Amino acid sequence: MRSWKVVLILLALAAVSVVFLSGIIGKPFEPAQPIAFDHWQHTSKQGEDTPKLECTDCHENADKSRFATIPNVSKCMICHETMKTESPEIQKLAAYSSRSEQPPWKRVYWIEKEADVFFTHKPHIRAGVDCTTCHGQVNQMHRVKRDVDHSMGWCIQCHRENRVSVDCSICHR
Amino acid sequence: MEEKVESKKPQWAMVIDLDRCTGCEACVVACHAENNIRIAGEGPAAGGRSVNWIRVERYYEGEYPDIRVKFMPVMCQHCEEAPCEPVCPVYATYHTDEGLNGQVYNRCVGTRYCANNCPYTVRFFNFLDPVWPEPLSKSLNPEVSVRYRGVMEKCTFCIQRIRKGEDKAKDEGREIRDGDVNPACVQSCTARAMTFGNIADPTSEVARLSKSGRASRLMEELGTKPRVTYLSRGD
Repeated sequence: MRSWKVVLILLALAAVSVVFLSGIIGKPFEPAQPIAFDHWQHTSKQGEDTPKLECTDCHENADKSRFATIPNVSKCMICHETMKTESPEIQKLAAYSSRSEQPPWKRVYWIEKEADVFFTHKPHIRAGVDCTTCHGQVNQMHRVKRDVDHSMGWCIQCHRENRVSVDCSICHR
Repeated sequence: MEEKVESKKPQWAMVIDLDRCTGCEACVVACHAENNIRIAGEGPAAGGRSVNWIRVERYYEGEYPDIRVKFMPVMCQHCEEAPCEPVCPVYATYHTDEGLNGQVYNRCVGTRYCANNCPYTVRFFNFLDPVWPEPLSKSLNPEVSVRYRGVMEKCTFCIQRIRKGEDKAKDEGREIRDGDVNPACVQSCTARAMTFGNIADPTSEVARLSKSGRASRLMEELGTKPRVTYLSRGD
């Protein structure tokens, strides 16, 4: 009688963990951000007074440097000083701005330090690589998720297809 | 084998004029600062575990007081027939299509065969994890990886500066030319004894100097075809 109970409990635990794990595995990394910034709304939303921004309008260093960079809050406030000030998310933004602080944005894509990879945005933009090639359809996302797996094989494949150098020292140094 | 992606790649080479070298070791200091070379400390250095991608060899001639000291900076010679390359079991050291002797730290498993096979003794093994005393850890160059325990390292001809120079040339839509790329040692040489550039370009300074009558290469008789040319002293 007792052993039956143990078996039942174990089975129940296994079932719960399978359900739980299947929810995590295979789901892209999608961290909650300090402010619910919506990329779709800023780039793709159809309507009369929607901004329809380009990626480099805000990530303005992508074509100039190693990093695309997240814009300073002051950049957001150029428009949001007057626009949609009634929204609670914009009020959060304004609060950061008034304290001259930056929201602690969560990184979605990064390269592990151990990889010794020196990726640079600039030459990729110069070569005309679309942002969505590496970052997925961010312009359709409400909350950014990691849609593309940045493994070395994936980098090499694109370099080969486009007849770019695959010399190790292009990235590793 | 990979097919060559671009036909005209620059071929990097260096010329060192020994008549100009004063042995000041500014190149050594500059190299340490540029390439995140760890500080071994007194004990390990005495045990032969210091790391110097470039060193200045001293040769004494004559007896005191009629003594002459000759200096010779020695770094990785980036041999075209590099003895270190075929002995690496994991292709961690390989030849790039720009004539550089590359070292991939991620691939290195630390067999140290390459250092054994190098006649110039310019390869250094990391026996320990590097430690920098504060505040030196804040002065690390972000363009260069920090090597960890168990990997081999050596002079890269400042690959990060080469990439930067190539990037600049591409921005301006032109071929690479003299002055685009200068490794830290060349930049810091007060006597301008060192010259760096593209030897495949016949108009470059290195191509001109390497054809000089004073030109010779270190241990040329081994057939390593070094990319570093020394101009002998004119005495």
